[in-house]
Amino acid sequence: MIHHHPDDELLLSLAAGRLAPGQALVVGTHLEGCAQCRSRLHEFQALGGALLEQAEPAALEAGAWERTLQRIDRADPAPARGGQAASPHPPMPDGIAWPASLNRCRVSGWRWMGPGMRYARVVVPHDPEASLYLLRIGEGRSLPRHTHNGIELTQVLCGAFDDGRSTFGPGDFDAADESVHHQPVVTPGATCVCLAYVGASLRFDGRIASVIGGWIGM
Amino acid sequence: MLLLFGHVAAVTSAGNRRMPTDDQIHAWMQAVADASDRPAFAALFRHFAPRIKGFLQRGGLDEALAEELAQETMVALWRRAASFDPSRGQVSTWLYTIARNLRIDRQRRLAGVIDERLDDWDAEQQPADAHLSPDELLHVAQRERSLHRALAQLPPEQALVLRLSFFEEHPHSRIASDLGIPVGTVKSRIRLAVAQLRRILKEHQP
Repeated sequence: MIHHHPDDELLLSLAAGRLAPGQALVVGTHLEGCAQCRSRLHEFQALGGALLEQAEPAALEAGAWERTLQRIDRADPAPARGGQAASPHPPMPDGIAWPASLNRCRVSGWRWMGPGMRYARVVVPHDPEASLYLLRIGEGRSLPRHTHNGIELTQVLCGAFDDGRSTFGPGDFDAADESVHHQPVVTPGATCVCLAYVGASLRFDGRIASVIGGWIGM
Repeated sequence: MLLLFGHVAAVTSAGNRRMPTDDQIHAWMQAVADASDRPAFAALFRHFAPRIKGFLQRGGLDEALAEELAQETMVALWRRAASFDPSRGQVSTWLYTIARNLRIDRQRRLAGVIDERLDDWDAEQQPADAHLSPDELLHVAQRERSLHRALAQLPPEQALVLRLSFFEEHPHSRIASDLGIPVGTVKSRIRLAVAQLRRILKEHQP
């Protein structure tokens, strides 16, 4: 049961083609497992369709039709589509599927970032600078308390964490901004794996945490 | 020559024609998908190409690029008509997502951030409703048909908010200045507009 979803504004940005590629991947990962949000996204895309239908028609250049016919006559077959094979990725906990949204990303192996905590860097196609990470945090472990200079988007792939605001379990999505000052603690029972987008660097409360954060690029 | 001229005139004056019905549009799509029917494609082209171009220009593209992407969208329609599933939504929604993805792809190329190795942006996707049940699909399709009317019933200010959300690259600052409100309150205005649209859609449900 999913309790936390992306808000209308994020889905509207995605539908309008305005969401940065790194953010779009986190929302896309949520959509993979959430029929409700897929339906909401479709609604916003339909809004785009309605605006297109109502758009003031613009006169086409002379020869537009002929040029279009020439292009379809070149008859290059539609490129093969469908499932893109997953690129190599770090092992996930047993029974947890690799998100198809990440298939086009380059992903590092699991790297140590503290006791019971590992991360993998996810390099986003078209936006290699985007700060996208997979975090794998052992049960009972917590991330250092921090706040954000920009937006932080998180999608829970498995396990759960609680940050004092709420509990986020498998399939849940969270968006946190400057106003959120939190310390996510992984709830007992299972390792938690999250996909996290960090819009601007995090501000950790502790000095050691700041050093580690700076070191892994958060 | 006269014939050719008449043809171009027919294409460019599409705005003055009677609007085709959904059934007509779906029949044309079917004919293109099943039989590569050129007259049907021409009819779709006359209706949609000038609107796609107008839509893209309204969204800030210069005329030449809007023209090119409108043609490219129609080429994509020709090649992928068979993958269009009318039970999953309207042709205009499908074309909107194709045009949007082509625009994103082009803007990334112009910015030089395209990663060639990974460059196969999925332009024909209808992903939003990939796993909906037939009941849910029917519901989605009904809502979609009501959307035009709902948009027309929306108070002008809320319609503007939604329109700017699609047409502006940085809609927040534009919405704030157009409505004369602080940027900090734009988010709640967008939420209100969406909620109002949903309310109207609900009233349209049989």
